[in-house]
Amino acid sequence: MALKHPEDCIRCGVCVSVCPVEKVGGHAIVTFLADPTAPEYSVWLCSSCWRCHESCPVAIDIYGLMMEQRRKEPPPPGYRDAHEAILAEGLAVPITQRELDEMRAFWNLEPAELPKPELVREHLFLSP
Amino acid sequence: MPEYETSARAVLRALGIELEIIPGAVCCGAPIVESFTSDWVYLSIYNLARAAAMGHGTVVTLCGSCTNALSRADLALSDDAVRIEAQRRLEPLGLPLPGHITVTHLVRVLSEHQSALRTHIVRPLQLRIALTNPCQVFRPGEVMQFDDPMNPVTIHQLVELTGASVFDYDGENECCGATLYLADGRLSLAAGRRKLDATAAADVLVHACGNCHLLLRHFQRAITKGSDRKPQETLFLSQLLGLAMGLPEYELGLRENRWR
Repeated sequence: MALKHPEDCIRCGVCVSVCPVEKVGGHAIVTFLADPTAPEYSVWLCSSCWRCHESCPVAIDIYGLMMEQRRKEPPPPGYRDAHEAILAEGLAVPITQRELDEMRAFWNLEPAELPKPELVREHLFLSP
Repeated sequence: MPEYETSARAVLRALGIELEIIPGAVCCGAPIVESFTSDWVYLSIYNLARAAAMGHGTVVTLCGSCTNALSRADLALSDDAVRIEAQRRLEPLGLPLPGHITVTHLVRVLSEHQSALRTHIVRPLQLRIALTNPCQVFRPGEVMQFDDPMNPVTIHQLVELTGASVFDYDGENECCGATLYLADGRLSLAAGRRKLDATAAADVLVHACGNCHLLLRHFQRAITKGSDRKPQETLFLSQLLGLAMGLPEYELGLRENRWR
């Protein structure tokens, strides 16, 4: 579903000028905000630095807009896999309790308990 | 990143602050789960509920993204609909709905203890330090309410406490680009390269976020592949402070650092 250009946006391009993605040649949501006819951009190209959001002179909720649009689009593999891992084990980068215990003991850190595997799917993401 | 935790604990311990781990804490949900569902907030609320159940009113995080997500979750709990939903999900787990929890980041705790920190500096450092700010600790300003969101000075002050000088460079307030890796590895490494190129003349690049560490240290070889540049030393802010405080290297997790 196409992203609707926000009515309040004045297309000033400040968001483009502060975006780290744009500085390395990528095109993020800010490309679309500055020019709704731009042929290429992706709402997934973002490093969550919030600089566009902070700089917008008319206070568009750029971060919120981007997240809403992401939920309507297929994710890139990196996001898909990390999301699946969080649903399955509560962690974006899974580790076993034994591995964690060994690592923390090596570094002389107190033990830490991992989340129960069923926690996210069965408790925190209840269907209505 | 155990060296981050161990060095943060060592520095805070010297200030009389002890940390307790939240048992069974889950990933905060941002920005990964947030990209799929607005329900991401219940992950962070769960973490706040576990902290509250331990009797704590403050959560300190080492990661910028977690600080940001937990702060937004704490704010979200002022909405009745979110509170009702959160209660429905927490109740079967035996967790009461948390009241207001103060969410803060290591950098913020350290900045609030600058005068005490100054008295602990016993080994002033003669170094030029380039720093990179943990983006989400400062932005969005309306949520984080800390420092100048686009031009923060706190880490400058903390670095200068150690006796080191701050190496100025263009792009200090730019994001390192680590989170971009989830969507596009090539662009993420290109963003990291900008940071490393701009700070190459500094002795050490100091950061205070696990994501920055991942890109600028662990992926540094991939970033600089094919070039003959020398490796850039990186340290967590807590490791730098700990060195100036004369804390033992094993407590600062410095065993894998090349530089001493």
